[in-house]
Amino acid sequence: MLAEKDHFKEILIKGIWKENPVAYQVLGICSALAVTVKMSTAIVMGIALTIVTAFSSLIISSMRKHIPSNIRIIVELAVIASLVIVTDQILKAFLYDISKQLSIFVGLIITNCIVLGRAESFALANPPADSFVDGVANGIGYSLILVCVAFIRELLGSGKILGFNVIPGFLVDMGYQNMGLMVLAPGAFFIIGLLVWLKNNLPGVSHEEN
Amino acid sequence: MSEQTLENQGLKGPDKNSRLNVIKFALLTSLICSLLITSAATGLKNFQLKNMETDRKKNILKACDLLDSQKKASKKQINQLYTANIKEVMVNPEGKIIKTHTDGALKLFLYEKNDGKSGYIIPINTRGLWGKIQGYLAFENDGQTVSGFSVFSHSETPGLGGEIESTWFQKNFKGKKIINSQNKFVSVGIAKGKVKNLPKEDRYNYVDGISGATLTGKYLSEGIKETLTQYNPVSVTFRQKQLRIKEQKE
Repeated sequence: MLAEKDHFKEILIKGIWKENPVAYQVLGICSALAVTVKMSTAIVMGIALTIVTAFSSLIISSMRKHIPSNIRIIVELAVIASLVIVTDQILKAFLYDISKQLSIFVGLIITNCIVLGRAESFALANPPADSFVDGVANGIGYSLILVCVAFIRELLGSGKILGFNVIPGFLVDMGYQNMGLMVLAPGAFFIIGLLVWLKNNLPGVSHEEN
Repeated sequence: MSEQTLENQGLKGPDKNSRLNVIKFALLTSLICSLLITSAATGLKNFQLKNMETDRKKNILKACDLLDSQKKASKKQINQLYTANIKEVMVNPEGKIIKTHTDGALKLFLYEKNDGKSGYIIPINTRGLWGKIQGYLAFENDGQTVSGFSVFSHSETPGLGGEIESTWFQKNFKGKKIINSQNKFVSVGIAKGKVKNLPKEDRYNYVDGISGATLTGKYLSEGIKETLTQYNPVSVTFRQKQLRIKEQKE
């Protein structure tokens, strides 16, 4: 039992930090650029992706012994796409306001490389419980980076945190200006690049040293 | 040969990678997936349609300022407000209200608030950068002053073009005119940049643009202009009536 706990813990740490999908595997960059202008969308996207990755990994892992290997990617995509569409339909029926906020992001989860990446590299070779934990871990790892990037972009680009103004009025009067670059996609590129560098090179933070 | 294939041939009977199995598996997967999606889509359709209808009404109410966009309202409140204050009518291309539906008839909403203010709401249906933009543009009964704008559905880039549904963008429409100082129809458009940088005579016909969403602004401006041109007889009728009331008073 204890060994099992340690085992899950290891998968979690690996997904969230050691092999973080954005900062280490450099996957899911597209959506990381698109949804990180504001923190609120980044958080909701993180939650949605975590749920989809976890359940698609679970389903694919439980079918892994029966999926013919030459059509496995199509099958994986079919599972992921169905899951995303059903989630979208449920959101539209019961949480209409949230589904409106997310708009196209929910559909875009299908194309997120992290979901397919985890299905392909982990779920196909590991039992369902492990795959589920791995999906959750990678989802959290992705959300973590997304929220960090969104925090910096929203603060510097719009002077807000979660939609609330945080730049004091006297600074604006003295000529403080928001950084327009941060609102645009290139701003996210710079920040993600910096985070990847920090993650992999800074002493004490990088896992590659220990 | 890989471990998996060995295991399959040895223990599981028929090879999972055989052609027959591949076809069987593909068919089965498609069947299950399509069943799942179809049942979700049809089973939840009524809920979704109800939500959409409420949302449409909410946006009509928001356009004419009957509902505060910051506050949350329950479905019941929205429906009550809607039936109490909004009337759906059809108008012919000459701007007259008609009872029977004819070709070329246009949909129009009339509103009357408790404080006596009234006016009309025009549905806006235009292309955006990625898809359709549907919204409502409300006017005061003078037939020229915009009293509000709201977006009901769109598929613009969130954070950029998607800002058309944000409050700061929509409230800028309030008080804008669709005619210029010479009383000529010019429509109301989205500026490239801030309105304060425009020449003075144009400022009443433009709202602040969204940075990073020039194209969305362009298409929305074009769409609004097109729709307003179509509805121009309605606005003219309202303007003339307003004139008549003024004359009578004098």
